Amino acid sequence: MAAPDLRAELDSLLLQLLGDLEELEGKRAVLNTRVEEGWLSLAKARYAMGAKSVGPLQYASHMEPQVCLHTSEAQEGLQKFKVVRAGVHTPEEVGPGEAALRRRKGPAKTPEPQSSEAPQDPLNWFGILVPHSLRQAQASFRDGLQLAADIASLQNRIDWGRNQIRGLQKKLKQLEPGAA
Amino acid sequence: MAGRGKLIAVIGDEDTVTGFLLGGIGELNKNRHPNFLVVEKDTTINEIEDTFRSLGSLLGSVVEAKPNEHDPPLWDEIDSRQFLHRDDIGIILINQYIAEMVRHALDAHQHSIPAVLEIPSKEHPYDAAKDSILRRARGMFTAEDLR
Repeated sequence: MAAPDLRAELDSLLLQLLGDLEELEGKRAVLNTRVEEGWLSLAKARYAMGAKSVGPLQYASHMEPQVCLHTSEAQEGLQKFKVVRAGVHTPEEVGPGEAALRRRKGPAKTPEPQSSEAPQDPLNWFGILVPHSLRQAQASFRDGLQLAADIASLQNRIDWGRNQIRGLQKKLKQLEPGAA
Repeated sequence: MAGRGKLIAVIGDEDTVTGFLLGGIGELNKNRHPNFLVVEKDTTINEIEDTFRSLGSLLGSVVEAKPNEHDPPLWDEIDSRQFLHRDDIGIILINQYIAEMVRHALDAHQHSIPAVLEIPSKEHPYDAAKDSILRRARGMFTAEDLR
């Protein structure tokens, strides 16, 4: 690959890297804000429920994750993360082709067996009726998880870009050892 | 684990871990150790390091021999506790002040999975200057490279 092409690719990668760094900074600020909101909501919940009512003593002895991470490899060494919630049901779509009314005869004769039990909502660890602040805390941390996946993808892309740039710089030095 | 996806692990103070567990990332059953660690005042640095080490290392970790211990811990017990040894963890969330305690282990972790994300804590706001990823990115530009 000729030196001008390498330089052009290097410039492109550098611009991409700088863009990723800027995006990372923005997402980090939002994540930090969400987490801080979550702490504040937890503190309010603790105030409402009692000092020892929101903490490790309430953790369940058996936990199933509601949220999992799917990874995909766009290029070698470049990973992308996506948060997926377990038990998310897509709503039934009633298309325009169904002109007739659906009959409502009550429960079906052969009920469909549940493929997997939906994981228990961690809010249930803290009681049946939990204060609104605890739900707000859950929402804040859930948003934080989505941002965490985006940030992890960006960090991975930054590391990948850094390695690519280093590789190109080495090639360039070999092609133009005395270039200024 | 095919089709199930990876987990998100968290190492942090009580509020951070409680919050993210509320978000639904926790896993705890009879067979596996938890994917979270609550760091308290009496939690030792060795415990944090043991839990964290090898979460992303494909080469595995080396348990240092402790001359005072006559009964070395079981390899299986250590491996199942260590996040880096587990291949089902995709992201590790860790409070930055805890990350500082095990900075050498974080800096040694070069793999893309699991990704390590440093987050602030209540008493210690996030400092970009201490973040391993950003320090690596900042250190790649020298005056000579930019000529």
